[in-house]
Amino acid sequence: MTWTDFFLAGGIVAGALYLLYRSIWKKGGFCPGCNSETCHPTKPRQD
Amino acid sequence: MKGLALKISPAAETQKIITVAVAGNPNAGKSTLINAIAGTRLQVGNWPGVTVEKKEAVFDFGGRKIKLVDLPGTYSLSPYTEEERIARDYLIHENPDLIINVIDATNLERNLYLTMQLLELGIPVVAALNIYDEAENKGYRINTQAIEKFLGARVVPTVATKKRGLEELLAAVVAVGDNPQAHQPRALHYGEDIEAAAQEVEQEIKKLPALADRYPSRWLALKLMEGDRQVLQELHLGGNEAFSGKAVRHLRQAHGEDVEALMADARYGQAAGLTQEILKKTEKQRIEITERIDRVVLNRFFGIPIFLAAMWLVFKLTFDVSSPFADWMDKSINGPFKRWAEALLTLISAPDWLVSLATDGVIAGVGFVIVFIPVIFAMMFFITLLEASGYMARAAFVMDRAMHAMGLHGKSFIPLLLGFGCNVPAIYATRTLENPRDKALTALLVPLMSCGARLPVYVVFVGVFFAAYSGTVIWSLYVLGLVLAVLMGILFKKTIFRGEYPMFIMELPPYRLPGMRSLLIHTWEKGKHFLIKAGTYIFAVSVLTWFLLNLPWGVENKRDSYLGQAGAVVAPALQPLGFGNWEAAASLITGVIAKEIVVGTMGEIYTPKAKEERKEDGPTLGQDLKEMGFSFLAAGKEAFLNVFASFGSAKFSTEEKEKTRPLKMMIQNKFTPLSAYAFMAFVLLYMPCMVVAVAFRHEFGSWKWFGVALAYGTALAWLVSFTIFQGGKFLGLGG
Repeated sequence: MTWTDFFLAGGIVAGALYLLYRSIWKKGGFCPGCNSETCHPTKPRQD
Repeated sequence: MKGLALKISPAAETQKIITVAVAGNPNAGKSTLINAIAGTRLQVGNWPGVTVEKKEAVFDFGGRKIKLVDLPGTYSLSPYTEEERIARDYLIHENPDLIINVIDATNLERNLYLTMQLLELGIPVVAALNIYDEAENKGYRINTQAIEKFLGARVVPTVATKKRGLEELLAAVVAVGDNPQAHQPRALHYGEDIEAAAQEVEQEIKKLPALADRYPSRWLALKLMEGDRQVLQELHLGGNEAFSGKAVRHLRQAHGEDVEALMADARYGQAAGLTQEILKKTEKQRIEITERIDRVVLNRFFGIPIFLAAMWLVFKLTFDVSSPFADWMDKSINGPFKRWAEALLTLISAPDWLVSLATDGVIAGVGFVIVFIPVIFAMMFFITLLEASGYMARAAFVMDRAMHAMGLHGKSFIPLLLGFGCNVPAIYATRTLENPRDKALTALLVPLMSCGARLPVYVVFVGVFFAAYSGTVIWSLYVLGLVLAVLMGILFKKTIFRGEYPMFIMELPPYRLPGMRSLLIHTWEKGKHFLIKAGTYIFAVSVLTWFLLNLPWGVENKRDSYLGQAGAVVAPALQPLGFGNWEAAASLITGVIAKEIVVGTMGEIYTPKAKEERKEDGPTLGQDLKEMGFSFLAAGKEAFLNVFASFGSAKFSTEEKEKTRPLKMMIQNKFTPLSAYAFMAFVLLYMPCMVVAVAFRHEFGSWKWFGVALAYGTALAWLVSFTIFQGGKFLGLGG
């Protein structure tokens, strides 16, 4: 494995981790295709 | 009433906007109406109160720019539920130019109660008498001119599902929006005593410009007299003594009743009286079709078996229709797509590991999940059909009765049913429950509902071990989830959630034949979530899984990789459940992110490395495309024939086909039918996925309830799988 391969692999792993962080954590569990109007993280909580 | 296509267009920037709030009872067809006008994708299902947030649409009509704001469906504007508060706050504080009040013409009296409250706001109202065709079919004759005269509002009959009357409705909106002074609603007269008291309070309010500017003065006077707690809170008043004490005391003495009850009676009286005036039934009351069907499906003894049979039929049809398309996708992804990716990467001289990442990682992982997209979409279609037809509300009603019999809160079943699609919206839907204790209990039960993400796991294992009974075996897993939800509900009720649960009234909308366009839109809305997941976190996890299966770098045996080692550590705990192999354990570890990833990871683990099976010669691109086209048409024909084939003849996939795929062969080597069923039950029950975890955190503001769900879910998964496997072995069902 060359240094180029190493950095490329590192970049791919970092990208995958960021994608996970963005889609699961940053979006607050909001499922983008959710049909229900109740499914939105900006909605005020009842309690 | 015309059914012409609407001449609307995207809004230009410079025009004055007519802001229109769309209000109405749940199930009056509000969302359908807005969908029909503006094409926005709002929920049309028959769930009471599913529209909790406002939605907006801006467009041009008749040279005017119109902004529609969808308010939550409510029965009144009292501040007792979240939906009512949201609708009321918008109407009071956002000052829309007018209100479209969507009224279910088949249920005038109940809908007019809300109308009476809207009129009190002093905002011009255009009433859409929706579902007008059903009212006509019932033999109703509605005098719309009389309504206009009585309410001081324009009235337009509409049939939103057929786009009838919408042009007239928008023309009325433009006419009222252009000249609101000429369309002021008539004030509801509450009788001499209340009117005199209201005028007295109104005079006091007008002395304080800060109040008079903030609220419609008559509306505020009435609310202060009612002792409306939200208004009192907003004004920082401990009670209504300051403004209306004298008037209220007088009314109490004169009538011996609370003012709030007096005014509610007056509104009901007005709604009932108006209905009598304007509605003529040309036929005698007759047993309608809805009532006839309900006599059967809501029957005390047959209700639950009918619900279970309906769900079985959904699964049966799902597999019969989708299996040829799933097979087609499987062949296309693992054939042409894989070859194309390899060829492309080889063309750009990509290193071997990158080719392997693309084919053994991404295509094997993501591809193996995407294969099941036709299954997921087919199931969402049939569930949407049940929702839109009105049957799902009956299912909830039947389960409500059963759950109440066991001392549980039946309203919880609505979010639980939503969980069949995806657990995440089901967690958010628990906010329709007023009591925090009900919310927490329901949210804890939601992960037991088998969501669409579990389907790919079931389909793979059912295809290998139970191909002849695919629909029935998967149905049994859904029923297992439901039964466990009821049992866990009872357990929680007797331990951490002790107390009485209130009765609630569930609305049973009439049965309707939903339009195909609407069905397809909502199927897409439900199903696209899984496509987006495949492109985001399933893709990301597939990449990471490939690295975990190939680190330390150059590892030959996947068992020695980091993921293999982690699986080997967990595997002994799964040994008593019948699947104590490292591959199953590793798949369950990555499946924590999302349940589909269980099969994605298995795909990566069991797929031979690309270089091992790469071939020098293959079909050309043109040949591949031609073959894909022909096989797609063949799949369509097979799906069509499956629907009409006798039940039991269609299988998810033939055993012969299954044996040709390495993954299926490996699964056959590692599992038995009994351990496969125990594995599916484990996947159903073990810890909720990470997206559900975040939804818990977001909805409850802490990790506490997710922690409870994680702990009990995993313990329950182990116990149930253990019971299935060891019990099955004891009964001689294999091992």
